Order: sequence, then structure tokens, then C-alpha cells
Amino acid sequence: MSVQAAPTVDQWNAEAFNSYVKQLGEPEWLVDLRQNAFEAFEEMGWPTRKEEEWMRTDIRGFNLKKFDPPKLDEVVDAASLPSGVLAEGVDIGGQVISLNGRTGRSTVSEELEAKGVIFGDFATVLAEHGDLVKKYLFQGEFDPNFDKFSALHAAFFSGGAFLYVPRNVVVEQPLHVLNLIGDNGVDLAHTLIVLEEGAQATVLTESASLDDDQPGFHCGAIEVVVGDRANLRFVNLQNWGHKVWHFGQQKGSVGRDGNLFWTLGALGSRLSKVNQHVALDGPGAHCEVNGVLFTEGKQHLSYHTQQYHRAPNCTSNFLYKAALQDHSRTVWRGMIKVAPGAQKTDGYQRIDNLLLTEHSRADSIPGLEIEADDVRCTHGATTGRVDEEQIFYAMARGFTRKEAMRMIVIGFFQQVFDRITLESVREALGHAIARRVREYE
Amino acid sequence: MSEFVRVAALSEIPDPGKNVYEVDDRFVIVIHAGGQVYCLDDVCTHDDGPLGEGDLEGYEIECPRHGAKFDIRTGKPTLMPATQPTQVHEAKIEGDSIFVRLVD
Ligand code: FES
Repeated sequence: MSVQAAPTVDQWNAEAFNSYVKQLGEPEWLVDLRQNAFEAFEEMGWPTRKEEEWMRTDIRGFNLKKFDPPKLDEVVDAASLPSGVLAEGVDIGGQVISLNGRTGRSTVSEELEAKGVIFGDFATVLAEHGDLVKKYLFQGEFDPNFDKFSALHAAFFSGGAFLYVPRNVVVEQPLHVLNLIGDNGVDLAHTLIVLEEGAQATVLTESASLDDDQPGFHCGAIEVVVGDRANLRFVNLQNWGHKVWHFGQQKGSVGRDGNLFWTLGALGSRLSKVNQHVALDGPGAHCEVNGVLFTEGKQHLSYHTQQYHRAPNCTSNFLYKAALQDHSRTVWRGMIKVAPGAQKTDGYQRIDNLLLTEHSRADSIPGLEIEADDVRCTHGATTGRVDEEQIFYAMARGFTRKEAMRMIVIGFFQQVFDRITLESVREALGHAIARRVREYE
Repeated sequence: MSEFVRVAALSEIPDPGKNVYEVDDRFVIVIHAGGQVYCLDDVCTHDDGPLGEGDLEGYEIECPRHGAKFDIRTGKPTLMPATQPTQVHEAKIEGDSIFVRLVD
């Protein structure tokens, strides 16, 4: 049995697309974008293991037929929704919570509004500030033609959030976005974050399932535009239930002397295939990514990262740590790309894997593609097992094996945690991981 | 441990022959050879090659990607570049059906 390019699936065919778009009632320019993407979606086959990009990620078990496009008329009872973990105990300036792509809550403080900050669920912002959305949507690194999933997303996306911070405006309170999936739900959220020149903000985004044991499908995108001298702290916690298929394009760009600090936690989903790319577009741009991956059961997380130096004197620093339990798998492919003329580039990428069980497996493939001659690019990958001596040492001091294991895992992640400046994020990640560490003999 | 599930009619797979099936969210190769049935994960442990698309020779199956071979009875690699075994599962013939039980 071999799996070929799937014919168009009924619920996602031209007829369904047209009625979906009609219900959205969006401006013509966006309908055109969607239409082009839909045509690309219909033409493309599903990725197969023959392609380099998907060689280690087997999606034969994924069947789009099992999911319907989001129901636009579904009313979400905001009061019944959980509020996520990242914003706990944090004084936030605004919040968007959605379920299956439908907005449940969308708030922003008057103070921020008075400063000209625009923040809210995608549909509302589109209705009120269409020109601004048009200026930025799909204009950056996100490519609707990248593969069938990107095209599907661009054609059918709904939900998500939009943040716009005008020139030189500093947003002190973090903004929070939570995407939820219900039973057999679908989330096609598009989150767009734009910081104009000299602006500053912190954005916390997270995803979760209402029921950990129910299947779901997420095909989403995040676009981050950091203007010249702007400063963004961005947190993205992937916490889907263990039966969710997660396909994501997470793309960022940073302008001259701008800074992007990106923390990524990947704990959930049945299978994830994420492309996380950052382009350094102006001289002096800087990006730091801190990634934490923790897997169990038969989870498969595949992260493809790219740090693309397109201007001279930029720095990028990607540090990932992955710990794996049971039969879980991670695939990490990292690429540092340096365009011609991007001299004095300083690029760094590293992933460390800790295998907690015999049957877990981590594949790490760092790569360099350098077309300038005055650069410093370093990369590395390590994979190791838990040191039995360390466990013995801890147990000799009265800790149980489980406590010892937990300490070792937390210690392993410490280097990344030390780089996370937001306490709430550090705590949320630390707790989520500690809860999952089990005992192995 | 999971239950035995019926994956195919015996007549679906010639002897010698093989097919890939999805059992419990997992893709496995079911092989009919020498009057017996065998079952292994459809994953080459070298670099995740699509083992089920490989050639079967006696009790060996060859990965189409870089040529590693595995013993279908034990899952053990018999030729580089694979060095780790691929998981074998229980398989049996009952009447005219093939049943498989996933080991883990
Ligand atoms: S993937 Fe099978 S031999 Fe390399």
C-alpha cells in the first residue's frame, strides 16, 4: 500500500471553500488571496517520505477526511473556556481566546488603545483596520505555496489574533493569545504580530485541547514582523492534546537593530511538523530563540528551523533542548543561511537531546549555507542518556528515583530556562515538564 | 499488550510477498514467506527509510534508501548501514486470515 497525492477531500473541496469564504464576508483582496491559495492546495499532493523535508516524518496516518473546516456559526461560551497557563498571575494588557477557530474572548486595555495599539481577534481587526491587515498579511516569510498544508491554511484560515504596535510605542503589559481545540476540532488560526520602528511588546501565545484524549487538527501560521529598532519578546507554547495533528508555519523577520527574543515550548500533539524561520533583514538585527521540547508516548515532534542572515552585522542564537520519554521521537533540522553580502554575521545554533528511555529517538541535523566570506557560524548537536551515576548519587542522598530523574531533567533544561526572562513562562514550562516526568526502571 | 487484530485475508499476500497496513495508528509490514507470516514496523532504523517498499529476499528485507537489510523474523539488521533492530510484532495465520498483535 503506498499513499499517493490525495484527491480533494469532500469537506475541503471547491464548493465547500466557496461557501466558507462567502460566510466569512471578507474584502475582495483577501478573497483573492484565499482563492489563489485554494487553487495551489488543490494542485499540490500531500508530502511524502520521498521528500527531504518529510523524510523522517510519517504522516500516512493523517487523514483530512476525518476533519471538517471550522464551523463559522458555532457560538463559543467564553465563560466555559480555560484561560491557559502562560498568563497565570500575569497582569496582561489584552487577551484573545478562541475555540476551534471561533473567538470566545477578545479584550484590550483602554490604555493601550489610547496609545494606538491595535490588538484583537483576526476577524474584528480585519473589519476595523482592513488596510493595515492588507499591508502585512502574507507579505513576510510565510509562503502559502510552501506545501499543501500552507496552502490549506492560507485558503481556509480563520481565528487567531492581530497585534499592531505603532512607532516608538512601548507596551509594558504582555498580551495573551490562547487557541483551543475541542473534540475532533480544527484550528486554522493565523496570528500576525507587527511592531513598527522602535516599538516594544511582549506576546504570549499558547495552544491547548479541551480534552487531552480527543483528536484534533491544527494547521496554523504565525507571522512576526519586528521593525527597525523594535523589540519583541515572543513566547509560543504548544500544548495540544496527544491526538492532535499539528502543522505550523512560524515565520519572523527583524529589521535594522531590532531584537526578537523567542521562547518556544513544544510539549503536546501526536505529531508536529513545524517550520520556524527567522530572517534578519536589517544590519544589526538580533534574534534569540530558546526552545524546549519534551515528548512522551508515541509523540513525534519535527522542528525545522532556519535563521536567515540577509544583512550584515546580524546575530542569531538558537538554543534547543529536547528530552524524550517512552517511544517518542524528535526530528530537528536547523539551518543557518547567510546571503551574499551579509558580512560579519554571527550565527549560532545548538540542540541537546536527552533520551530518557531506550526506545526514544532524536534525530538532529544542523546545517550551514554560507554565501559570504567574513562570518562566524557555529552549530552543534548532542544526544545522550540519563547518567545512572547521577541518579545513584541523588538516591544515596535520600531522593527517590523519580525525584532524582525530575532533578536531572530540570537541570538539563536549566540552560534554556536561564535565558527565559519572564518568570511566569519559566514557571509554566517548568511545571508542565515536571508533571510529565515519570519513573523508569 | 494489545489484542490480535485481523489485517488481511491470507490470499491478499502471495507467498513470498508483503504489504503495509495501518494497525492502531501504526504502519507495519506484513510478510508472507515460507508458509509463515511475519510483521515488523515499517521503519528502517538507519534513517527512517520506507522499509515496506524494499525488496524481499528469503528472510531478508532490504531498505530502498541506502540498502540496509533486516531479518524479518527477528527485526535484526543483517547489513549496514542499519545497526539497530526494527520492532517486530506477533503475526499468525488463523483460517484464511492474517492476525497481528502489536508488541508495544
Ligand atoms: S534509511 Fe534505510 S538504509 Fe538508510
